[in-house]
Amino acid sequence: MKKFLVILLLAVLGYYIADTYFDIGFGQPHFVKSAAPVKDIYLAKTQNPLKVSNAVTSIVVNFRGFDTLGEVTVLFLAVTVLGSVLYKKRHQVGERSVLFNSSSIVTSGSKLLFPAIILLGAYVFIHGHLSPGGGFQGGVIIATGFLLMLLAYENYSVSHTALSIVESLAGITFAGVGLLGFMHGGTFLQNFLPSGVMNNLFSGGVIPIIYIAVGFKVGAELTGVIYTVLHEKGENNG
Amino acid sequence: MVGTPVLFIAIPLLAAFLIPLLGMIWKELVRIVPGLVLTYLLILSVNLLNHVLAHGPIVEVIAGWVPPIGINLVFSAFSGFLVVLMEFLGLLVWAYSYRFKRNVDYEPALKYFLMLMMLITGSVGIVLTGDIFNMFVFIEITSISAYGLTAFYKGRNSAEASFKYVMMGSIASTFLLLAIMIIYSQLGTLNMADIANRIHTMKPAYKIVSYIFFVTALGIEAEIFPLNGWAPDAYAEAPGPVGAAFAGIVVKAAVYAIIRYTYTIFDLSGTLNFLIIIGMVTLIIAETAAIRQEKLKRMLAYSSIGQMGLVLVAFGFGTKEGVFAALFLMLNHAIIKSLLFFSGSYLVYNSTEKRIVEVNGMSKYLPITSLLFALGAFAIVGLPPFAGFWSKLSVMTAAADSNMILIMALVLIVSVVELVYYLRVVNRIYFFKKEASIEPHRPTINAMVVMLVLGAIILVIGFYPDAVTGILHKASASLMDKSYYIHHVLSLKQ
Amino acid sequence: MDNTLFGFLDYAVYGTAVLVMLIGLYGAMVKKSLLKIVIGLSIIDSGLNLLIVAIGYYKGGTAPIFSQGFLENFKSVSKMVDPVPQALVLTAIVIGFGVTAVALALVIRLYRHHGTLNIDEIKNLKW
Repeated sequence: MKKFLVILLLAVLGYYIADTYFDIGFGQPHFVKSAAPVKDIYLAKTQNPLKVSNAVTSIVVNFRGFDTLGEVTVLFLAVTVLGSVLYKKRHQVGERSVLFNSSSIVTSGSKLLFPAIILLGAYVFIHGHLSPGGGFQGGVIIATGFLLMLLAYENYSVSHTALSIVESLAGITFAGVGLLGFMHGGTFLQNFLPSGVMNNLFSGGVIPIIYIAVGFKVGAELTGVIYTVLHEKGENNG
Repeated sequence: MVGTPVLFIAIPLLAAFLIPLLGMIWKELVRIVPGLVLTYLLILSVNLLNHVLAHGPIVEVIAGWVPPIGINLVFSAFSGFLVVLMEFLGLLVWAYSYRFKRNVDYEPALKYFLMLMMLITGSVGIVLTGDIFNMFVFIEITSISAYGLTAFYKGRNSAEASFKYVMMGSIASTFLLLAIMIIYSQLGTLNMADIANRIHTMKPAYKIVSYIFFVTALGIEAEIFPLNGWAPDAYAEAPGPVGAAFAGIVVKAAVYAIIRYTYTIFDLSGTLNFLIIIGMVTLIIAETAAIRQEKLKRMLAYSSIGQMGLVLVAFGFGTKEGVFAALFLMLNHAIIKSLLFFSGSYLVYNSTEKRIVEVNGMSKYLPITSLLFALGAFAIVGLPPFAGFWSKLSVMTAAADSNMILIMALVLIVSVVELVYYLRVVNRIYFFKKEASIEPHRPTINAMVVMLVLGAIILVIGFYPDAVTGILHKASASLMDKSYYIHHVLSLKQ
Repeated sequence: MDNTLFGFLDYAVYGTAVLVMLIGLYGAMVKKSLLKIVIGLSIIDSGLNLLIVAIGYYKGGTAPIFSQGFLENFKSVSKMVDPVPQALVLTAIVIGFGVTAVALALVIRLYRHHGTLNIDEIKNLKW
């Protein structure tokens, strides 16, 4: 009975949402006549004052950089809340719940793959302003590399203090670059380095710097999350 | 210029990233630095508010791009007043929880103060921002801090209350994003002033759908009926100061968001009546539920939900007197409810169930705390000469001006109901014999100072309401004038 | 052939996104295991992000990146899809991840206390 009512409610809600969005239309320009869509201005300014190839990066880091600062804070808070919820006194570090032992294919393969994954992640977040990618994507790839090593080896460990130092330093870099913008242009997060030539590595002012800091931060945080959850010693097993 | 609004966000974020590093040097810094940050922000907010009252709103652009290209913060009389209130309450909550009640270790204390600072910063961000997606990000910051703070104690039920909160908060974010995208797909912009300027060109069907989704999403945070299922449990399971922070800071930010959408951004005709109806329903249901509560904090939570319903009714009048009454109610409620949570925590300190019958006879052992709780109870019911009397009076005046006799009657009836369940508790504190099994716990020095400060403010506002009414009049004028807001934000030159 | 193909696509993308959201919502409301509820919340986020990105799509458009190939061949920004929903989705995905992580931590703690993941047995508070 409850399932039937829920399906009915969902059908009504789904019809309501779908009807509105179908009406808006897919693939056609759908702005009203009097609108001056900001996307045109963003695309124009990305080419000219900013000289950044990836328009999405310029929006995320420069035009709407404040949102990105908030998002980095959300990640930081999520890791803090995770640590707070799972906190136990007499925390036994180094004691993991191991479900199974890895075969030799996994152990030798992961030793080969790990540097390649880290390199790929670093490439993605350093070139965030030139090709699709960026700090968040690169950071997640790096964390995947650490996950591989943590799953393959029983006694592989990363120092929790080192992760927390990297995380804090990267966050301070981001907020610090924002505050430095005050001295050069007068507003928070303003771009104060020269823009360079488009499609070069050193272009876009502070955008690569911020994205590199974000890449480190996300990689450190996600690794910390995996590490906290892996060291969760259950009361019934382990 | 003494400082800019973005410092309200930038300084706490910088401090939040620094605190884990500082904690490795000296552990006490973890408790001290949030206090320094909050004190500095309180002074900054008072300075900015004085400037704004004399010269007009401050609009600050971020990243050097003027609106509507970039994001902007708006510190007007209305938002500035709320920021001062939130920073002040935040400082008091920090001071109250400085020496923790149960001795917690270093790591949980670090996380507690971080989450508390982020809760306050997120709420201040919701109030200051001028961009709808930015408001979504700040709502998420506030919500995640709230999830963590609710689950802070290790008892059996706190994780469950927090999980319920997570589920409802998640649905709130979903609806909020849907509503934002409907507006973006039509108008191509995310800036509040720009949307307000162009919204008359949007199809009415889209406006209605978008507004309903917005109110649903924000209503979950603002605890409107029927979206407040998570609230009583979250208030009951969270630590006492956190309950005060929720009631005094987070809910105010959510109500601000609803009001900003209704008054400034959307131009639909039935929205004010809609606010009155949901406000009335929330008020009636919450107050009747409060009578039946056995646990002290749940009773305070339902009372808080009811007061927010009354605030929405007052905003729904649509007149300057209505907005003035609503703001006065918000101010008084924030201060009085915080005092009730603070003192109530000590009255049921050592009991596990925190039931009302366990406060019997506490007046002999905790005389000052009991007196302050009684003061808060009388103030919130609206007895003269305490603060709550003036705010309820202004609600009745605004209702009379709009010829809403039914609402005047309702407010009187609800006040009587509140009198019943609050006096019940005060009666038990003073005139019953203490339960033998409950040990009273004396408040610490910092907690006592905080409670006395709040009590003093209640008395000051009660005897001399003109101290605050000037600011409230300017704040309500600032909200009512929509075209002034739009003009002020959009006229900035690159 | 072009018309019918695109006619179907008009409804397919939005319809899929809304369907995924409804499946996630169904899972979050009806399922009894805490883990399935959290997975349902995560599925809602996926469907929602798909819906948001789909709003920015323009037929015949190309990625909003000023690469060498674009600068030589197209030269006109009107051929680019809308980059703003993509930027918004970047933020929304990360925030959704944060909320999922917190929810899973709470599930672990509830499991520690009660020994079960069944929501019917954990109803200490009034639901």
